[in-house]
Amino acid sequence: MNTAKYPFAVLSASLFTVMLITPISSISNLIWLNSLNMSIGIFTSLEVLLFDFQRLGILLYGIIIIAFGIAFSIASFLSNYINFSIKYLYALAGACAIGIAMYLIVELLFESELLGGYRTIFGKILHWLAGFFGGYFYYFLISKNYNYTFIIRYLGVLYAYIILGFVLNWIFTPETAAADFGFILKELSDNAQNALLRDFTSFFVATFIFALLGVFTLNPAWFFSAGIIYLGAAIFNLIAIFIHGTEYNHIYIGEILLGLWPISLALIILIKKN
Amino acid sequence: MKLFLLSFLLLFSMHSFAYKYETVLDNLDDAWSFVFLNEDTILFTEMPGKLKIVSLTNKSIINVGNLPEVEYSGQGGLSEVILDPDFDSNNKIYISYSAKKDNKKITLYLSSAELKNNELVNRKVIFEANAYRRSPAHMGAKIAFLNDGTLLLTSGDGYDHREKAQRLDNHFGKIIRINRDGSIPQDNPFISDPNALSDIYSYGHRNMQGLVVTSSGLIFEHEHGPKGGDELNIIKPSLNYGWPAITYGIDYSGAVISPFTEKEGMEQPLFYWIPSIAPSDMIFYEKDLYPELKNNFLITALVSKDVKQINKNDLKIQKSLFSDLNSRLRNIQDSPKGYIYILTDGSNNKLIKVIPK
Repeated sequence: MNTAKYPFAVLSASLFTVMLITPISSISNLIWLNSLNMSIGIFTSLEVLLFDFQRLGILLYGIIIIAFGIAFSIASFLSNYINFSIKYLYALAGACAIGIAMYLIVELLFESELLGGYRTIFGKILHWLAGFFGGYFYYFLISKNYNYTFIIRYLGVLYAYIILGFVLNWIFTPETAAADFGFILKELSDNAQNALLRDFTSFFVATFIFALLGVFTLNPAWFFSAGIIYLGAAIFNLIAIFIHGTEYNHIYIGEILLGLWPISLALIILIKKN
Repeated sequence: MKLFLLSFLLLFSMHSFAYKYETVLDNLDDAWSFVFLNEDTILFTEMPGKLKIVSLTNKSIINVGNLPEVEYSGQGGLSEVILDPDFDSNNKIYISYSAKKDNKKITLYLSSAELKNNELVNRKVIFEANAYRRSPAHMGAKIAFLNDGTLLLTSGDGYDHREKAQRLDNHFGKIIRINRDGSIPQDNPFISDPNALSDIYSYGHRNMQGLVVTSSGLIFEHEHGPKGGDELNIIKPSLNYGWPAITYGIDYSGAVISPFTEKEGMEQPLFYWIPSIAPSDMIFYEKDLYPELKNNFLITALVSKDVKQINKNDLKIQKSLFSDLNSRLRNIQDSPKGYIYILTDGSNNKLIKVIPK
C-alpha cells in the first residue's frame, strides 16, 4: 500500500485540481455572458459548471495526470538535494506542471488558447494557483499511511464522475440524451415523454447517488446496488436482442463494465472486512 | 414480372442520378479558391502565397507575379480571389490574405490590383482588419460583390477572440462592407455610430467561409460552428448574429460556450447542423446545365465530405451530393457555361469537373 499510494495520490490530486480549474473557465464565461444581459440564473450557472466539470474536466484530467506525474517525480528527486520545505516543493511543482501543460497546449494548437479561462493574466494566475494547491494536496495524501479504503474511495469517485455525464445530459439536455438512446423526444406523446424522462433520469441519478454513498460510507451494499442495476440493464439488453428480436447493439459492453466496476469495489470491501 | 419491372426502373433511376467526374487539375499546393477568367481559363490561389492562371484545355500554368507577402501557417495564407464586376474592361481583381503587421501580429487584408501581363499591377491594400492576433485561425476571408458594386468581406473571430465578435470596435467576427477603392459607403449601418467601426455591416459571426449574393440582392452566408452548430444565415445590415452569446455548439474542449441558443435582438440561423459538417464554400446555382440543381444553394463541406444541396424556397430540405468523391471539399464554382467545378481540400488537392447527367 505504501508504494501504491503514490500513483493514486497523483490521480486524486489531479482530480482535485480539475475541480479547481474547470470553474475558472466556467465562471469567466458566465461573467461575460452576464455582461451581455443574458439570463444567467442559478439553474443556468449550475448547468454550465457541471457540464464543464464533466466534459472539459475529463479532457483536463488526462492532461493533468501526465503533467503531475512528471512534475512530482522531479520534485521527489530534487527533494534529496534541495533544502526546501517538501510540501511547498510539491506545491510549486504542481503550479509549474499546470503552467507548462497550458503552454504546450497552446503551442500544439497553433497558438490558440483552448481554455477560455486561461486567456487573461488573471486567469493564468488562477490556473497556476490551482496547480499549487493540487501539489499541496498531493503532499497531504502521500504524507499519510493508507489502507485499501483510499483506493476504493478514489475508484468510487471516478465511477461517479463518469455517471455524472449521463445525469447532466438527462437533466439539462433531455432531447440530446434521449437521441443517444434512439428516442426522438418530440415525436413521443406527452405521457411517453414523461415516462422516458422520469425513468431514465431517475436511473442515472440513483446510481450516481449510490456510488457517492458507497464512497462516503464504504458500505458495499451501495456499490452492489449500482452494479446490479447496470448488470441488469446488460442482461435485459441481451434478452431484448436475442429473444425479443431487437437490433444488435454494443451498449451491453458498457453496461457490463459499469456494472462490474462497483461490484468489484463491493467485493473487495467484503473480502477485506472478512 | 411487375417486380422485375419495378426493380429495373429503380436501378435505372439510381444510375441516372449518378454523376461522373473529371479531374482537370491535381497536385495543387493547398489551393483555396478559384475563379473563371473564361470558360477555359481559371485563376486560383494557393495558400502559401501563389496566384496562378491555368488553361483547362492544355493545362498550362502561369505564376502571377508581384504578389503580397502572406503569412502561410495554420488557417492563414493567400485565400480568396474574385474578379471586379467590370473585369472585362478594367482587369481588376481582389484578393484576401493573412499577413503580419510590421512583422508582429497577423491580420486579414484585402487588396485590389490589375491583372496585366501575368502580374499584379497597381496593387494596393484597400482594407486591413482591426483584428490582430497571434494565431492564424478563423480568418473568414470570403469576398462578394453586392449588386450596388460595393464589396463584402468576412472577417472571422480569430478563435481566441470570440467575445470580441459582440463588440463593434473591432473586426473580429464581422462582415465588412466597403467601396471598391476601400472607402466607406455612406449608407453603411454603423456610419453614424461613434463607438463602432463604420465599415461593419453585420456582427456576431464566427468563421464565415460561404458568402453569396443572389441576383435579387439577398445575402446568404454560412459559418463554421464550434463542435456542432454550423450555420446558414441570411445577412441584413446592422444585425447581430449572436456568436458566441448564442450557439448550437459546444467548444472543442467539451466546455460550454453558451447555454443559450436564442436571445431577443440576436438572429437565428436559417439552418444549423449538428454534428458539424464544416461548410467551406457556397454558390447559388442559377444556370441550366444541371436542371435538378437550379435555384439551389450548393455548399461544400470539409467534414461530411460532400456538397449539401439546399433548396432556396424551402431552406430545410437538403440533399447530399458528390459524396462518392470521398474528399474534404474546399471550394465550388460554376463556369460561365454552367459546369460545376469542385476543389478538394489540403495539400496536393485537385480541381474536379462534375459531368452533368
